[in-house]
Amino acid sequence: MLPVIVVHGGAGHIPRERSEKSMSGVCYAARAGYSLLQGGASSMDAVVEAVIQMENDPHFNAGRGSVLNVKGDVEMDALVMDGKTLASGAVSAVRNIANPVQLARLVMDKTSHACLTAEGASKFARAVGIPEVSQESLITEYARMRWTKNLAPDANPVESQMGKMGTVGAVAVDREGNIACATSTGGMLNKMEGRVGDTPCIGSGGYADNQTGAVSTTGHGEAIMKVTLARLILFHMEQGQTVEAASDVGLAYMKSRVGGLGGVVTVDPQGGWGARFNSLQMAWAAAQDDRLHYGLYAGERFSESLQTP
Amino acid sequence: MSAVIVVHGGAWAIPDELAQASVDGVKSAACQGFSVLKGGGSALDAVEAAVRMMEDNTVFNAGHGATLNNNGDVELDAIIMDGKTLACGAVSSVKNIANPVSLARAVMDKTSHVMLTGSGANQFAESMGVETVPTDALVTEYERKEWEKHKTYVNGVMEDFNAQWAHDTVGAVALDCTGNVACATSTGGIRNKKIGRVGDSPVIGSGGYADNFSGAVSCTGHGESILKVTLARLIVSHIEQGKSVSDASQLSLQYMGERVHGAGGSIVVSPSGQWAATFTTERMAWAAAQQDELCGKNTSAT
Repeated sequence: MLPVIVVHGGAGHIPRERSEKSMSGVCYAARAGYSLLQGGASSMDAVVEAVIQMENDPHFNAGRGSVLNVKGDVEMDALVMDGKTLASGAVSAVRNIANPVQLARLVMDKTSHACLTAEGASKFARAVGIPEVSQESLITEYARMRWTKNLAPDANPVESQMGKMGTVGAVAVDREGNIACATSTGGMLNKMEGRVGDTPCIGSGGYADNQTGAVSTTGHGEAIMKVTLARLILFHMEQGQTVEAASDVGLAYMKSRVGGLGGVVTVDPQGGWGARFNSLQMAWAAAQDDRLHYGLYAGERFSESLQTP
Repeated sequence: MSAVIVVHGGAWAIPDELAQASVDGVKSAACQGFSVLKGGGSALDAVEAAVRMMEDNTVFNAGHGATLNNNGDVELDAIIMDGKTLACGAVSSVKNIANPVSLARAVMDKTSHVMLTGSGANQFAESMGVETVPTDALVTEYERKEWEKHKTYVNGVMEDFNAQWAHDTVGAVALDCTGNVACATSTGGIRNKKIGRVGDSPVIGSGGYADNFSGAVSCTGHGESILKVTLARLIVSHIEQGKSVSDASQLSLQYMGERVHGAGGSIVVSPSGQWAATFTTERMAWAAAQQDELCGKNTSAT
């Protein structure tokens, strides 16, 4: 059953013209993470690699392809967490770097802190030699188009919001049984400057614990925060629920208590995994036992061999 | 229905020279918050009032009296949460304002977001007409001197003694006469922290959490450790499993000590009026005020 990796590319309402690219993007990321795991790499290396691939892919709301804040700027959030030690690293509202998840990992590995924000995060990036990239290199036509639409006086930001563009994330268990999670996002379309969502908040955007499992979340950020969704799902698993049941209960609670929709990828120490969501779609892919599984709509689960013929 | 407020002024090895002022400070804050509750005010208003008072009190590391980052600047974090709706407001790394807890409240009440950081948070403050306070006005002589001294220490040496560091974050939890609970936490962070370092205080589930079904919690202590175990949410989950507020607090702090070697403290109030103030550091400044009858005279402040 081990190793296993599950990735998501956002929960919500992915328009048809983008769903194909979202699907190929998550499959590519899952394959990349899995081949690292098969080679003996750690779950942390695998989730970071999977998320880096999706940050580099302009079809996701992370790194390149991030949504724009109300001023037309890109501010990104990311989180990594190590289930063995509970160490974590996060960055919020960071600008002008290509891979926030990489910076989050450096916060965890190279500082005694767990989270750096805004200019402090940028300063640290410079200090550790992460190259600064132009904002233009991160902005896609699509992101700019959505931003412009949302500026119109009669725009309905919430309605045009829901995961038309996806936060990305991954969870994994490696051969040693170590568990990790990673999540990365450009945040919410036309958000206020400095708005921080669930993604870099430990327990909300993600959580990993070797004793219980790991979760990475996507969906309506403020709702996820209010119920600390990742931690909530793991509490249910601690109480004996399966990855799927715990994920569904957590999502259902979020919907009924605070009216938010979203999705999660979840994994347990034995390699049990789930990709669950109560939004219309979630682009996801999982790799385990030399097979790739993936889906977009509720109930979908396509499967193919990862063995090269 | 019993109205309660519990406040803390930080869990750490509070030196003797600060002890009396710290205890006086938390008692005043508890009385302030309690008078809000007595007047029929909400738990949210009460925790905000109590924390504002401690932010204004220079003995605590929040608002006025905040500690300095490694650049000699003040960056403030705060959170407030409403147990009825789970609505929450938080600010991180905000500068030059006196009362971050009130700015966090404004994020909750006036925006569709939960958390604002950095210059975005400051711009929002400006748009709300919040007064800009020069850094010098927020920083005490004592803090400047301590900061100068600590700048000469090798960082590595201090890492091992996280319980000895100043962790005088402030916080409050309350239960009002309509059965609503709320929490609030505010801090200047750790002395000499990296620019932009965000600890547990403004992170929902870590620095604080409030839910009418189980209770409200505010935490203090080694921020990075509190984050690793999402301490506030952990305490709440134990209460959800049927544990008493004090057992829930003790178990959670013990777990934090064993799993990640972090020390700290918590204050908790349950919807039925049970409360606890618990800590694994040497000391914690705290105070509680409780009223068993709504308009009665049976008040006890400890």
